Amino acid sequence: MSEEALIGLFVATVQFGTLVFLAALGELIAERAGVLNLGVEGMMAMGAVSGFMVGLETGSPWAAFFAAAAVGALVGGLHALVSVVLGADQVVSGLALTIGGLGLAAYVGRNVVGERPETLFTDLGIAGLADIPWIGEIFFDQPPVVYLTVLLGIAGWFVLARTRLGLAIRAAGESAPTTDTAGHSVMALRSGAVMVGGACAGAAGSFLSLYMAPGWVEGMVAGRGWIAVALVIFGAWRPGRLALGALLFGFTLALQPRLQSFDIELLGVEVNRISPALLGILPFVLTVVVLVIISWRYRHRPSPAPAALGLPYRREER
Amino acid sequence: MIRIVWRPFQALAGNRPVLARRENVVPATQAVAFLLGIVVALILGVILLWTSGHSPAEVYERMFDSAFMGTDSLSRTLERATPLALTGLSVAVAGSMGLWNIGAEGQMMAGAIVATGVAMMADGLSGPLLIALMMVSGIVGGMVLMLGPALARSHLRVSEIITTLMLVYVAIRVVEWLETGPWKDPESFGFAVIEPVPEQAALPGLFGRANIGVLIALGLLLVFWLAVSRTAWGYELRLAGSSPDTARYAGVSLRRKVLTALLLSGGIAGLAGAVQLTGSAVRLESGLSNGYGFAGIIVAALALMRPSGVAVVAFVFGAVQVGGQSIQTLGVSSAISDILQAMILFGALVAVVFFNYRVRWTGPGGGSSSADPAEPDPVEPDPVEPGPVEPDPVEPDPVEGAA
Repeated sequence: MSEEALIGLFVATVQFGTLVFLAALGELIAERAGVLNLGVEGMMAMGAVSGFMVGLETGSPWAAFFAAAAVGALVGGLHALVSVVLGADQVVSGLALTIGGLGLAAYVGRNVVGERPETLFTDLGIAGLADIPWIGEIFFDQPPVVYLTVLLGIAGWFVLARTRLGLAIRAAGESAPTTDTAGHSVMALRSGAVMVGGACAGAAGSFLSLYMAPGWVEGMVAGRGWIAVALVIFGAWRPGRLALGALLFGFTLALQPRLQSFDIELLGVEVNRISPALLGILPFVLTVVVLVIISWRYRHRPSPAPAALGLPYRREER
Repeated sequence: MIRIVWRPFQALAGNRPVLARRENVVPATQAVAFLLGIVVALILGVILLWTSGHSPAEVYERMFDSAFMGTDSLSRTLERATPLALTGLSVAVAGSMGLWNIGAEGQMMAGAIVATGVAMMADGLSGPLLIALMMVSGIVGGMVLMLGPALARSHLRVSEIITTLMLVYVAIRVVEWLETGPWKDPESFGFAVIEPVPEQAALPGLFGRANIGVLIALGLLLVFWLAVSRTAWGYELRLAGSSPDTARYAGVSLRRKVLTALLLSGGIAGLAGAVQLTGSAVRLESGLSNGYGFAGIIVAALALMRPSGVAVVAFVFGAVQVGGQSIQTLGVSSAISDILQAMILFGALVAVVFFNYRVRWTGPGGGSSSADPAEPDPVEPDPVEPGPVEPDPVEPDPVEGAA
């Protein structure tokens, strides 16, 4: 394996990690407020297609990025309306969001399949640091979305852990009646959290369609939204551990298409002779294995999940 | 002295809509909610079609005709309703215990994989025997893919939602691998396809494109309706889902119930794969499951996990999908049928809420005129009383013990 290939692997690890971290951070915020949103896959697809289309139209990746975030927030708002404001089942609503979102994305994007926007996000070589061997290329010569996501992660942690708003959000996820009695609007907190989560998922989708795999094809999100949902469990609903998990999954996602070109032997099997389709199951199998290990570790302890996760709240019925 | 207190959100806070439980619940059923869902979806579809420059009337007419008018159309609808009914039942069996099998799509594939493998080995068998064998192996295949998630759920409480879904991607990738490698048809002129299932394994047709898969699905729905609603086993299953503690006191093994429900669910989805393989598809291919497993989730949710409802919703969804295919000749994307299906579910979800709740506008006098005197709104601020009645939104009180 050449040095170049290895650096490429780590560069891609950071990028795939960013992709799943951004989506998972949004889901984490929503779940800390007590709302399970299984629509991440659909929101990412909507973000990917709308970001791509705005990118085509305006030529500005940033306009596309924020448009995708807005669309994501809007789609997340539908989940908030149905499951938070109206109190319908969160699982059903989220699944409908994924199926409907994928369908709507396919419909909206039917005419732009195969097109390429003129400007995409470009790598941001940070002066001085980008020239450091290895480290520079991996950490300091990435597209701006990577750095923005790091900032968002820190901001998300800070707001959740260190501010009154964060306390109120977490309270809504632990005990909605208590939060209501303390004078907060559970509905506003939860809806807001879900919409912020949608914005993150939508933005992550546009990172996919405007940088990682420029273009739009149906099914391009390919399960990364679901990996983001699983990551939140892996991260035990904490942003810091979420980042670690994102790098682990990012590594697997980056490794999978590259294993083909690596001339190494694993357990007596030459890796480059394994079918790419079989290697493609890696991230998904890893997700299942990781979830099982996590649950094994928590088998005698209370789950770290927010206590009110998935429970609708109606003031009139507390 | 006049004290002016400026509270910008007072008007909003004192005069807002609140969902209040109806004293007399609207005597409407899920069937009505389903119909309302269809209406909502069709209206949203009109908007969508309009904005993209199609004539909604023309599109809907084409959809309706192609799904219902004439025996050929009906047979196409039934052909699509068959896998939908089976995957819907698969999701419903798990759902009657409060579990979510959202990986029916993958279990379908697993069923089709094992059925194909068996057919390759038992090529010489007579038709009925081979078909029976393939059906059984389909069930086994679905169960095998479900085994991991089921054990993880029953013994470690790992969310079955994510594990079942993850294995969808695994199953589809395995089919892609089989297509390109081990099972590649040597007579396919280089195309990466698996050889077609033996001719005698094709399910006998009923009429048009419908085959006896319809009867298999209906029979299974009947069996599960009886089992879930009329047997002690079914009662325990529902009890374990709705009230696990009660079930435990009654001596029901929750672990075993979770395991059975999930494995059955996987088996039925696997059967759907085998039926699809022998009924409609020619060969095992990565597009065989075609979204039926995911649509089955919506089918089961709309049917409230009841087998009778699954049959009805599956038929309607079969029609929506046939309609979605037919409008491609009008230049309309078939993705519209996915959107319609999801919108039907959203519409029905919202409708059910309004059957049980009504919107009450709370007036600024503390509660509305129509407020139930027995149920005063407990946290309504009294605007007459001066002072900080309303909690300041900027500096809220910390909630103890929240984290």
